[in-house]
Amino acid sequence: MGYFTNLDIFWAAAYLLLMVGGAFFFYRLGRRSESDFFLAGRGLPWWLPASSVFSTHTATDTPMWIAGVIYANGLRGLWYTFFTAWTAIGAFVSARIFRRSLAYTQAEWQTQRFGGLGAELLRGWMAGWQVFMNMFILGWVGIAMGKVCALAFGWPVWVGLVLPSVITAFYTLAAGYWGVVMGDFLQGIVAVFAIVIVTLVGLAAAGGPEAVTSNITALGQQWRLDAFAFSGWFTGDFPIAWWLTMLVISVIGGFGMGTSLDWYVEAQRIQSAKSVRDATYGLWAGGAVTLIRNGFWAAGILAFFSMLPHITDAAQYELGWFRMGFELLPVGLVGVFFGAVLAIHLSTISSHMNLGALYFTRDIYQRYLRPEATEKQLVWVGRWSTFALLIGSFFYGLMMQEITRWLIFALWLMMAGIWLPNILQVVWWRFNAWGYLAGWMANLGMSWLVVWILPEFGVLPELPDYLQFWLLMALGAVVFVPVTLLTRPENMDRLVRYYVMTRPLGRWGPVHREAVRRGLLAEAPVQHGAMPSEGRRPLIRRAWTPEQADAWTREDWIAVVLSPLVFAALMLGVTKLLLLQPGGLLLLLGAVGGAGVIYWVIDPKLRAVSIEYEAKQAAYAEQLEQRLRWQEEGGR
Amino acid sequence: DKGITMLIGMSIAYLASFLGLALAWNHWRKRHRKDDHE
Repeated sequence: MGYFTNLDIFWAAAYLLLMVGGAFFFYRLGRRSESDFFLAGRGLPWWLPASSVFSTHTATDTPMWIAGVIYANGLRGLWYTFFTAWTAIGAFVSARIFRRSLAYTQAEWQTQRFGGLGAELLRGWMAGWQVFMNMFILGWVGIAMGKVCALAFGWPVWVGLVLPSVITAFYTLAAGYWGVVMGDFLQGIVAVFAIVIVTLVGLAAAGGPEAVTSNITALGQQWRLDAFAFSGWFTGDFPIAWWLTMLVISVIGGFGMGTSLDWYVEAQRIQSAKSVRDATYGLWAGGAVTLIRNGFWAAGILAFFSMLPHITDAAQYELGWFRMGFELLPVGLVGVFFGAVLAIHLSTISSHMNLGALYFTRDIYQRYLRPEATEKQLVWVGRWSTFALLIGSFFYGLMMQEITRWLIFALWLMMAGIWLPNILQVVWWRFNAWGYLAGWMANLGMSWLVVWILPEFGVLPELPDYLQFWLLMALGAVVFVPVTLLTRPENMDRLVRYYVMTRPLGRWGPVHREAVRRGLLAEAPVQHGAMPSEGRRPLIRRAWTPEQADAWTREDWIAVVLSPLVFAALMLGVTKLLLLQPGGLLLLLGAVGGAGVIYWVIDPKLRAVSIEYEAKQAAYAEQLEQRLRWQEEGGR
Repeated sequence: DKGITMLIGMSIAYLASFLGLALAWNHWRKRHRKDDHE
């Protein structure tokens, strides 16, 4: 209890009560004012999905692994945090397609894209996998909390893993779904303040930005101040090949659905936006704020490094940000800081408990085991599955000693074999449920074998992480490509219906021609650029007809190319400005200018898509509703 | 042993996913058997 005074304990308790009370207040208010319907319908303005994108990217483990990569790698470590940049292209491509599908979850989207026995098996497989995945994430976040409690109170790690999570389980069951969502929103705001304040306090304690940079230079480690300090093409601890692999995974991943773990959580938030335009801006702004936050964190961790540069144990320096909070904040604020950490923990754990329990009760128990279960039975199944998830998560939590290595596994390597299928399902009409399912079945085992099990038994050497990614991607392709080509494409009726509704990007030629033949679409296929019939078009089109706005044009490509550049400039610009390095202000101004150009180019088109689509949306939603009901009643 | 722990970790993931797959297969079979009698 070295860090805490009685005043701190008072403030921590008061703060927690305020947070939990706030979530309950919103929940009650929501039930009274029918805003439950408002939230569950499609009515959210862009800033609410944006804040929830930020919140789901902020958990107890986040400051730990960000401290880990920055302390070990200097500013080069910022690129580890750049995986959030899937939102850069995702906002303009996959979010638009997903929002137009009107699906609330990725599982629901897959029932529109795939059909028949393959789709049914895929649905069961994904539900089972989601139960495991939420257990895995709960363990990962739980062990992070265990380490924070060990630092703050000197408890054994397992006590801090078990105790806060069990308390959260009771909160989750009491607050209900929207209580959790509102709690998530509130803690997102609090997290921003905590990160900014601790970073500024840390920089001041280190003697200001100049002292931080001159201390690191005096150590002879200027490379820590350069995000582009590569160690060679393939050699050393920061090869260019690693950096390019990271960029491909995160940035190109924006063309797919599920290329980032966060997609499964964000999909529901994208759908709750009130228009296609709001969905795009919400996802983009959430990603941008997350990267700005990473920039703040990196500057703070460098300040920590300049004060304590000789820690060699990763488990020690991963706690750098928490140590700054506990040691440098004045009495009273330490309590609020710990309260904020607990609130962040509460919201992350409760979100994943909810998701895991929801998948088990709705997609497994109700769909396959007891379709006739009553509401009361489902509630009980939800409660028991919450506690089963908790027990399983303790096993995974105690397994993970090095948070950062597991982070790389969970974010990049566990999904490496299905990274390509996740993109293909969006951009290639011929890709089918059998190929996707085969890719999943192969990848689940191969990822654990290549990364953890075979090196442990000495069968395979421990490869660098970027090589593991390409190896797993190739192994996955060896399975899913032949399976896809040897099985039939999806039913054309289904593909045409999906195509007309979502207008996806990529190779959809045969489906497009079939839709035109059936008279569902008016125009000939539009390749990027001008239509043959109308002569010259302006370089940047400002006035759109609905048909023009439905096609993918050069305006979209301008946004897609500029967006990741803006994200990188934002992240690096914030860090450089905080450290008073040259070029920081210039980078930030460039990022703001780039964002302005994207807005100017794409906004008229997004407005046209949104207005045109909203007119059709009610009819689509009704058709979808009827089809789902028909499926439930035993049709196919 | 760490290797054994990892094997258990992977097995839980496979077990959960295949359980979902088996339930889906069972569901599909039952539904289509019903169709045959109609």
